[in-house]
Amino acid sequence: MPTLLAVAIPARAELVIIVNPANPATRMFPSQAAQFFLGGSVMFTPIEQAEGSPIRAEFYKKVLEKEPAQVQAIWSKLAFTGKGKPPAEMKSSAEVKKAVAENPKAIGYIEKSAVDDSVKVVATVQ
Amino acid sequence: MKNALAALILPLYAASAGATDFGTDNSWHLTGFYSLTGAKVLSGSALGSSAPWTYQQWKCPCTIQGWEYTAVYEKEKGWQFDQESLLGLQIRKDFSPTLSATAQLVSRALNPNYGSRPTVDWAYVTWQPSVDSEWTFQAGRFRIPLYYYSDYLYIGYAYPWVRPAPDVYGWPIFTYNGANVTWRTQLGESEWAATVHAWTGSYEQHDDAYDTKIYWTDPTHEAWKQIVGAYVSANANGLDVRAMFMTYQDNLWQNGADGKRNYLLDVHDQRTRIMGLSANLDRDNWLIKSEVDRYEQVDAAKGLNGIYKYALFGVGYQFGAWTPMFTMSRYRTVAAPIEGRNTRYLSLRWDVKRNMALKLQYDVTKDKSEYSYPFWGDSKLLSVSLQGVF
Repeated sequence: MPTLLAVAIPARAELVIIVNPANPATRMFPSQAAQFFLGGSVMFTPIEQAEGSPIRAEFYKKVLEKEPAQVQAIWSKLAFTGKGKPPAEMKSSAEVKKAVAENPKAIGYIEKSAVDDSVKVVATVQ
Repeated sequence: MKNALAALILPLYAASAGATDFGTDNSWHLTGFYSLTGAKVLSGSALGSSAPWTYQQWKCPCTIQGWEYTAVYEKEKGWQFDQESLLGLQIRKDFSPTLSATAQLVSRALNPNYGSRPTVDWAYVTWQPSVDSEWTFQAGRFRIPLYYYSDYLYIGYAYPWVRPAPDVYGWPIFTYNGANVTWRTQLGESEWAATVHAWTGSYEQHDDAYDTKIYWTDPTHEAWKQIVGAYVSANANGLDVRAMFMTYQDNLWQNGADGKRNYLLDVHDQRTRIMGLSANLDRDNWLIKSEVDRYEQVDAAKGLNGIYKYALFGVGYQFGAWTPMFTMSRYRTVAAPIEGRNTRYLSLRWDVKRNMALKLQYDVTKDKSEYSYPFWGDSKLLSVSLQGVF
């Protein structure tokens, strides 16, 4: 019975926004984090999850509040006018965590369960 | 050309989204964009009559939808796919995290500009003092970032319409060779981010389509020299405001039989100013687009009173993959005889997939020019376009 219950509840992992531990930022509104992933600000370097991954879909919906096509349109403008490069895409949360741990300016997002000491959580998205 | 473009574009449907990286260290990046655009003039009239007329080389009823390359749709030709369709390729080489070179080549179904096939729309080097610097320096060839959509006028995927309002977007010169600098910063602890961008350079286009084909008939040349421009923009939470100012010396001439330049309207190193303000909102599924712009080429001693006023305003709402919009635009000159135009647009964008959109648009244009002869006239236009990036 407990097993059935676990299956019945969708595995909706909590999503956290992470930065490098050396980053002085301690907390951030999701809308501030969205700026970096939409090319609005270059203060931090966004690290993207893989296209088509469930966590990316959730991040777009809850944090960016945009459809994938809208995000693509925004980056198309920047990339084809020499104003920016779309975020680097990682294959997994482990890779995102590694990239953020290696770059003091990086910002990424992973499942809360994947967090460890190598990164710092600045926001939790329910 | 139509078939050639289709042959190029159709395989793109199957292409995956995103850049292709290659080279031993993946330091080369190939990306691109395309628009397969067709349009048909449904009806039109000039000076109160819908009897066919001719304006320059075009058989009207007709409508100009692209001034830079003189994309004109003629009613008698039915559906035309050869006026605005294009394919662009961008290649970037990263030499280091702070130094790269980029070139963008665009192949256009219609390209009457002299020596411009394919067009090198962009070719530049980008350098930053450090990876996390707020400063970016670029040198090479660029599109002039005049109005809000000027520098990405041909990246259809990046905006909601088939094309940004032709009432506002249209110049004889739209490129510069030179250099620019960008400074980007966060405004304190706020959510506002600001960009300051300044550029300088020049450009000379011989037998340019805009001057020759639309206005002067004989091969006409134009050069914008000593261009100096800057814009300041700020954005937060989907709100984006921008102010731009640019000045340059205009030269407009034809070559005489003796090879000497005959300057038209005495436009010779003529100081000219262009300015623009825009505010755009993209929040909670609502889209609001607005801008007002002004061009001034005024010299009382020469009798020049070239002032153009431009504006556009649009409202849209995104329902998932569907974005319907209503937009209005206009332009006017102030000196007699006045030239001007008003257009209303109903457009629908459908995001077919992440990197491809299909757009449908209906335009009603009223010619407000006070020329004694029939100019472009009024028109109703139906447009469809498949636009994407890869």
